Amino acid sequence: MQILRKTDQKAYAKAKKLGPKGVVKILKDKGLTGRGGASFPTGLKWEMVLKEKEKEKYIICNADEGEPGTFKDKFILVNNPELVIEGILIAAYTIKATRAYIYLRGEYEYLENKIRNVIKKVKAKTKSKANIELIVGQGAYICGDETAIIASIEGKRGQPRKKPPFPTVHGLYGKPTIINNLETFANVPLAILFDDWDSKLTLFSLSGDVTKPGVYELPVGTNLRKLVELGKPKHKVKAVYFGCFGGCMPYSNINLTNENVCGKDCMLGAHTIIVVDEKHSIVDMATNVAKFYEFESCGKCTPCREGTMRILNILENISLLEARKRDLETLQELAEVVKETSLCGLGQTATQHLLNALKFFRKEFEEKCR
Amino acid sequence: MQIKVNGRKIKCDPKKTLLHILRERGIEIPTLCHQEGLEPQGRCRLCVVEVDGKLITTCDNYPQEGMKILTHTDKVIKSRRINAELLMPDHMAKCMIENKHHDLCKIIADLGITEVRFDPKKKYEVDLGASVIRDDNLCVNCGRCVDVCAEVQATWAIDFARRGHKEHVTPYFEHNLNDVACTKCGQCIAACPVGAISEREHLQEVYKVLKDETKHVIVQTAPSIRASLGEEFGMKPGTIVKGKMVAALRRCGFDKVFDTNLGADMTIMEEASEFLRRVKNNECLPMVTTCCPAWIKFMEHFYHDLIPHMSTCKSPHEMLGILTKTFYAKKAGINPKDITVVSVMPCTAKKFESVRPEMKSAVDYVLTTREAARLIRHFHVDFNNLKDENFDPALGISTGAGAIFGATGGVMEAALRTAYEFATGRTLRDINFEELRGMKGIKEGKIKIKGKEIRFAAANGLKNTRELMKRKDKYHFIEIMACPGGCIGGGGQPLPFSWEKIDKRIEAIYREDSHLPIRKSHDNPIVKQIYSEFLGKPLSEKAEKLLHTKYFKRSQF
Amino acid sequence: MLNELRKIQKKHGYVSEDSIKKLSKKTGIPVSIIYGVTTFYAKLHTKPTGKYIIEICDSPSCYLNGSLDIIKYLERKLDIKSGQTTQDKKFSLFIDSCIGCCDEAPAMLINGKPYTKLTKEKIDKILKKCKS
Repeated sequence: MQILRKTDQKAYAKAKKLGPKGVVKILKDKGLTGRGGASFPTGLKWEMVLKEKEKEKYIICNADEGEPGTFKDKFILVNNPELVIEGILIAAYTIKATRAYIYLRGEYEYLENKIRNVIKKVKAKTKSKANIELIVGQGAYICGDETAIIASIEGKRGQPRKKPPFPTVHGLYGKPTIINNLETFANVPLAILFDDWDSKLTLFSLSGDVTKPGVYELPVGTNLRKLVELGKPKHKVKAVYFGCFGGCMPYSNINLTNENVCGKDCMLGAHTIIVVDEKHSIVDMATNVAKFYEFESCGKCTPCREGTMRILNILENISLLEARKRDLETLQELAEVVKETSLCGLGQTATQHLLNALKFFRKEFEEKCR
Repeated sequence: MQIKVNGRKIKCDPKKTLLHILRERGIEIPTLCHQEGLEPQGRCRLCVVEVDGKLITTCDNYPQEGMKILTHTDKVIKSRRINAELLMPDHMAKCMIENKHHDLCKIIADLGITEVRFDPKKKYEVDLGASVIRDDNLCVNCGRCVDVCAEVQATWAIDFARRGHKEHVTPYFEHNLNDVACTKCGQCIAACPVGAISEREHLQEVYKVLKDETKHVIVQTAPSIRASLGEEFGMKPGTIVKGKMVAALRRCGFDKVFDTNLGADMTIMEEASEFLRRVKNNECLPMVTTCCPAWIKFMEHFYHDLIPHMSTCKSPHEMLGILTKTFYAKKAGINPKDITVVSVMPCTAKKFESVRPEMKSAVDYVLTTREAARLIRHFHVDFNNLKDENFDPALGISTGAGAIFGATGGVMEAALRTAYEFATGRTLRDINFEELRGMKGIKEGKIKIKGKEIRFAAANGLKNTRELMKRKDKYHFIEIMACPGGCIGGGGQPLPFSWEKIDKRIEAIYREDSHLPIRKSHDNPIVKQIYSEFLGKPLSEKAEKLLHTKYFKRSQF
Repeated sequence: MLNELRKIQKKHGYVSEDSIKKLSKKTGIPVSIIYGVTTFYAKLHTKPTGKYIIEICDSPSCYLNGSLDIIKYLERKLDIKSGQTTQDKKFSLFIDSCIGCCDEAPAMLINGKPYTKLTKEKIDKILKKCKS
């Protein structure tokens, strides 16, 4: 696997030779894009922060891997954490930041000591003076959002705010800030050091109704069937969920690129695939996902706060066979408005799974309604 | 910059939000969480419009060249309807008919929503405080109270807790407002668009005493009421309704209508004398005014080191209350026990002040401006068509100095008018202290009194107060008013809150001052009478006993 | 501040009114804000918790692998509902949105340590070990 290659911190030395502009250029040339979901070009993001005139700048490594069904960041932290730290230090060198934060999700706190040791080790080896502070999240999915993670590190309620201004201009404590996903940082040293680094290779987290779940490194554009078959499903596969926020679609012959998946009203996001076979009901899945959003909504804006709760209520009624057909209309309307009017990415994607389920698997819902 | 709104080209200022621009054009956009002067939070999502097929909020977005805005497409209306409907179930379950002016209820009516498909869910206990009542069941999480308490008042008595649909506004650890460091200023009431926060009503008690034949019931009205009460009866902000107000209160059955402005004049007599004594002895300067009960409570929680610096003068309505039950009672031959004093105040903190044990119930009940209007409507008085009447002269003649107590800087101005003449024995030529007027958060100035330069400052809003306190030692005399603009913007004033209204009310107050024949407290004939017949002189033993008070240290939490 | 609150949670098992007041005095941040932050996060509790905090995953991946049965089994075994603490103050049970062990579902954390591929038998064993 590419992500398991060792650099022995030689990428940091090379970065220093290249200089900040050289680092930005190489990242741009090699085509590294963000692995958190938005696929924003990493070199460009760093360049934007580099150009800001503020003296103080910050770096945040988003290790708040909260998306259900996602465990690729954990895979890197367990198997090759040095890459991440080196990537962060390179970023610190590039934009002259003296402080970087790793926002580790609370559920991974058993990795805390390991990470602290690696930080010490890599810092000693690179002789970087940048401070890396580890912040352990306390159980809030929303803190995966850029602006919420900033609020959380600042000691506030982890609620997002409107963008723009983007964190590259107005980030942590109002200063320009690089926020990248952990997998992105891990790829920085690889992209800088190895000529044969392949920008297309990415980590897929495969789970659900498969007998061989796990992290698979495959190129973007891999066929969905090929990936799912690697997981050896026991029964006939009915649908896949791209995590909770990426939505769901019927199992089909599709190449997993952002464009193709968007065409199905889904999002590839962090390359999370949850497989659902024919033994499971989509209504139950929808209820489970709705419960997730009801619990994780931050409460700031009306549609997400109230809407996710009402959606869960209706879905529970459907599961209990107590709903009427017209409740499906209410469900549809709610899902649309939550998507269209919510403040942040969480709300805007919280009902995509439901809209798709109502579109592709409507019969399953109708059968349970009076 | 040019944009298109519903197909029509309009020129606009790129620095203004879309909401502002649209409203200027007469396009009403519904919103609950937007509040003038505060950072937009984008919480309620009702102010959406359609741009390129997408919905965007107008409160926190700015125009871009060539932007095409559609304000009433099916998509816009549908999402507004659903979001309003989502906010309605719990509010509707407890909303009173009388409160049809709630912004949410208005929005629901405008959107033509006749059916709410969801059941009420919230089961919060109502927080029944001495001044402020909070009912989270009515709340729509717009966050305006939280923002006002933090951004304007720097008190942080309340914040959001929990998350998702369990998110709600609360003092820390779900305590009641009574048990935390809350100043009772009532700015949260002024900010609330749905009546989830309101004043603790004293109306029922007042109805009861008005019926009681054995009681001699006296009402007094604060300086700022005459400049705001008219709004409750559809008049323009800034209309002075002194004569109608007095007439209406008589119709309600009060035996006498007294003027708190006279209490203000008394306060000035005592305060100016106290100030000159402190300057002479060089003790505990700066001296800080104490007319504002929200400021007093704020100080007791967060700045109790200042207690020696605080003037010991009671606030005007407490002074008038105790004078009513002593001086007036004696003159009129009424047993003080049979007298009930009701104050009409722009303020919710006055309710708390009136039950402080050290005030010994000089004032029995406090009504806000809003409650006074309810009282007048309760008795079906045709306010708008009343003929003007005058205050009862026994304690009803006042000066321009008393009148300007209602505006920030007014107490200081009134005190300086008197202090100067007391100290020098000369007439103050220009009695208008323009540097103390207006809406600026902190105002300052200086005056030479007997060769000594006296530096003074006035702050309104408690956030500004915290600012001023950082450099308090520069000054000799400081005035603090907790509410924006002073009492005129008090938490008991007619809703909804707006800066424009406050400006208009302030203008009216200074107009009143400039038209009054007597404009200095020490020239007030009743004041002179009270001293000559009853108190002796300012700061006499009797005056100290009746008109002065003390303060206590309270927990910072 | 999040790290401070975490320390308090770890040390006392919950964030009490007193510790919020202490933190406020130390940092100058008002108590209402600290309380708001504390209650925002699922892992910070304002009521005392048991010696063992069990966080059981209810993500779709765990759900598809039978987490519902495991949750019900745990609730019956401990005789509490999720969000509650046993009378002997030994166990608190919380449902977590996802603990990132989706490839080893169903899974749970006990005081931060993961236990994966759960079965009823495995749960019996784990609880027994905790109790002794």
